[in-house]
Amino acid sequence: MIPAIGLLAGVLFGLLFHPTVPVWLQPYLPIAVVAALDAVFGAFRSVLDGIFNDRIFVISFLSNVLVAALIVFLGDQLGVGSQMSTGVVVVLTMRIFANVAAIRRHLLKA
Amino acid sequence: MGMHSAPRPARTAAEARFRLLRSLKPQTSRTQIMITVLFVLLGFATTAAIRGNSADSLLGNARQSDLVSLLDDLAQREARLQSEITRLETARETLLGGDQYQALNEAKRRASALAKLAGTEPVNGPGVTIAISGNLTASTLLDAIQELRDAGATAIQISDKNLDVRVVANTWFGDSDNGVTVGGTALKVPITITVVGDQSVLTPAMKIPGGLEDTVGSGGGTVTITPSDDVSVSSVVPLPNS
Repeated sequence: MIPAIGLLAGVLFGLLFHPTVPVWLQPYLPIAVVAALDAVFGAFRSVLDGIFNDRIFVISFLSNVLVAALIVFLGDQLGVGSQMSTGVVVVLTMRIFANVAAIRRHLLKA
Repeated sequence: MGMHSAPRPARTAAEARFRLLRSLKPQTSRTQIMITVLFVLLGFATTAAIRGNSADSLLGNARQSDLVSLLDDLAQREARLQSEITRLETARETLLGGDQYQALNEAKRRASALAKLAGTEPVNGPGVTIAISGNLTASTLLDAIQELRDAGATAIQISDKNLDVRVVANTWFGDSDNGVTVGGTALKVPITITVVGDQSVLTPAMKIPGGLEDTVGSGGGTVTITPSDDVSVSSVVPLPNS
């Protein structure tokens, strides 16, 4: 519950303060957000699987974000940045879909 | 989140809902606070990313390589436009600086060039005569005309024994009994195409594999190409009333 309120608070902060994303961060922020969403959906799934562990969640959240940003950074250095970020987004989206499907099977048994 | 029961997947939908609700219950622990901080950051980053995306979407988020190619495009376009400006300015200088006759001559030269293109003026000059007999379809003829245009034909005329038709931009081709219809005039095979242009380019253009000679030849017809230093495209199209 508290994290959910935190999420709302973050959205409100974002809406109120009109943050400008620094230029060096611009390619990585969307990827990081998608990676974080993947971690969040993974967490819900593990709650339903009965294997949720908050320590693991924190670590997976941070490592997901860092690894995704690192891959895109590496791609940028290699000159295939846009392809790399497309690839990362595709993979993360597939994982999100798989997680949502698992959650749905748990909740609706369908 | 409770670890008091052995970890196992939720068996029923009710249990799954219960687990979800239980996980949403307020709890205080160090990792919970940590998770909350992460969620605040996630919400903030999401809105920031969305706003940043909508602010100046195209250029702001483009990568260096994309920007470079964009810049290249613009530079090329600028160079093209610059040369266009130079050309037009030169023409303007000529028209302004020269006497009346120069302007008149320039206008006449352009009028004559346009008249040749529009087909309102007879054209004489070096070119080729292409005689075609046997089976000829409109699409073959159209292909041949397009090939001739690509090869730099200045003026094209298609004739049979009795009629001449000048080929211009809006000339159309259709199949008819014993021949083809060109721009509304029914021509009977054998026909002759008279072309003004560079002979050394026009002749090979008709002989390329899959070209006119190939197509007509495979249908049992014959194509005879005669280069000449002076062919005459004599028929004209009437000036449209404007």
